Amino acid sequence: MGDTEIKDGLFYSAEHEWVRVEGDIAVIGITDHAQDALHEITFVEISEVGTVLKANGECGLVESMKASSDIFTPIAGEIIEVNTDLEDAPETVNEDCYGKGWMFKIKPSNLKADLAALMDGNAYKAFIESE
Amino acid sequence: MNDNLERTQLYDWHKENGDVIPFAGWDMPVRYSGIREEHMAVRDSCGVFDVSHMLRLWIDGPDSVEFLQTVTSNNVGMLKINDGHYSTCLNKNGGTFDDLMLYRIGEEEFIWVTNAANGAKIWNHLQEQAKKFKVKVMDKTKEVAMIAVQGPNALSLLSKMSGKDMDEFDRFTCNPLTIAGYDTYLCRTGYTGEAGAEILVLNCPFTNEGKARAIGFWEELLSQGAEFGIRPCGLGARDSLRLEAGFVLYGHELDEETSPIEARIPYAVKFKVEPHYFGYDVVQSHKKGGVKKTRIGFVMIDRGIPREKYPILFNGSEIGITTSGGLSPILDKGIGMGYVPPDTVEIGDVIEIDIKGRHRRAEVTKWPFYNPDKYGETRTR
Repeated sequence: MGDTEIKDGLFYSAEHEWVRVEGDIAVIGITDHAQDALHEITFVEISEVGTVLKANGECGLVESMKASSDIFTPIAGEIIEVNTDLEDAPETVNEDCYGKGWMFKIKPSNLKADLAALMDGNAYKAFIESE
Repeated sequence: MNDNLERTQLYDWHKENGDVIPFAGWDMPVRYSGIREEHMAVRDSCGVFDVSHMLRLWIDGPDSVEFLQTVTSNNVGMLKINDGHYSTCLNKNGGTFDDLMLYRIGEEEFIWVTNAANGAKIWNHLQEQAKKFKVKVMDKTKEVAMIAVQGPNALSLLSKMSGKDMDEFDRFTCNPLTIAGYDTYLCRTGYTGEAGAEILVLNCPFTNEGKARAIGFWEELLSQGAEFGIRPCGLGARDSLRLEAGFVLYGHELDEETSPIEARIPYAVKFKVEPHYFGYDVVQSHKKGGVKKTRIGFVMIDRGIPREKYPILFNGSEIGITTSGGLSPILDKGIGMGYVPPDTVEIGDVIEIDIKGRHRRAEVTKWPFYNPDKYGETRTR
């Protein structure tokens, strides 16, 4: 666990998702800690573009060789893009979870309040160490 | 970490080399390198598994055959010395307490190998039933290590290590054999669909010496197995391999509400036996066509990975439930098993699996899920 990667400038959820704010859009994926725990990701499915979600709403699932895990959105809003590259290459999430392994983009409906409920890098680091 | 978890003799090695997780009350390695890679090593060359968490009982006494026939469903009297068979231990309703391997190692002496998760239940059941017979049931789980070697190269490796031609040992036999200086029982069985053996390594108590002995044997397998492409494999690969082979797993395809006929393991059940075992009458009525449910296998047509406890639909109606599922590394598709009422679907029918609210198509198929001409013990070499 000591070498898990946490990036500065991102927001983190207790469900091990990260959020990067790009202008008025939120990009969301799962953290290095999450991909390492799942290991060997074999399948990613995210709800369709246009789906409107509440904060912490379930919006997809990740399958690994070991188990199935639900994906939640830390940010309320409408899904405007899903990373379709993951359909054929779900292992990208293992290889580059903060980059090419991003999962979906949200047009936020309540960004400021939703971000306030998330952790910064230092808080998330302390959180996974305490888990 | 839960301090109450049991550990096998090989725990120190697993902790250093693998990812150890709780499983059925034991701290067990789920993987070393990766589940898919370990899975493919077993299909393509050779893998080695620590299965010392399984319960190993020695049963001895003048009444051992009669005793075992009351508590297991296969024909115990038919077993010759050094032979073994797959069997089930049933309750009075024909439901399954456990499935097991039974080996005869002497006129009155047998070895019973069974699921870790059922250890206490079976131990108590057998102790209770044994009171009526001149027989002793002894738990040797903590005196004997158990290591499975599986894959198309497994028998070549064991021939090299023992100096014995493995062709001398038929499937399901259990013979005393010295392998690289270690006294063992070689059981020609497995849980992957591939050729191989499950090896009972004797004299491995939970002392520093006993643990070192178990680890010594394990490392000997790895070093002599290098030229055969051997890999240490965790329970993750063990599960994906048994699923791909279409084998039942207790707690999934088998439980106290399910008979071996419903589970479609009829080879575990015999009727020309005396005395009649617990559940005999119910199982016989099931055999004559009275089942309420039957096990099926399926391969996903649409994208998605089935898991246990997902609804199975046919023509828009829910007909059953899945019991196991996952990705088949050989097919690179989702595969699974489940239960439906008898005669509702047949091979080739398209069913749907409700994967967390998303209905995904699957085809009802036979097991094993791989092509048995290319993979598994029956492969044409």
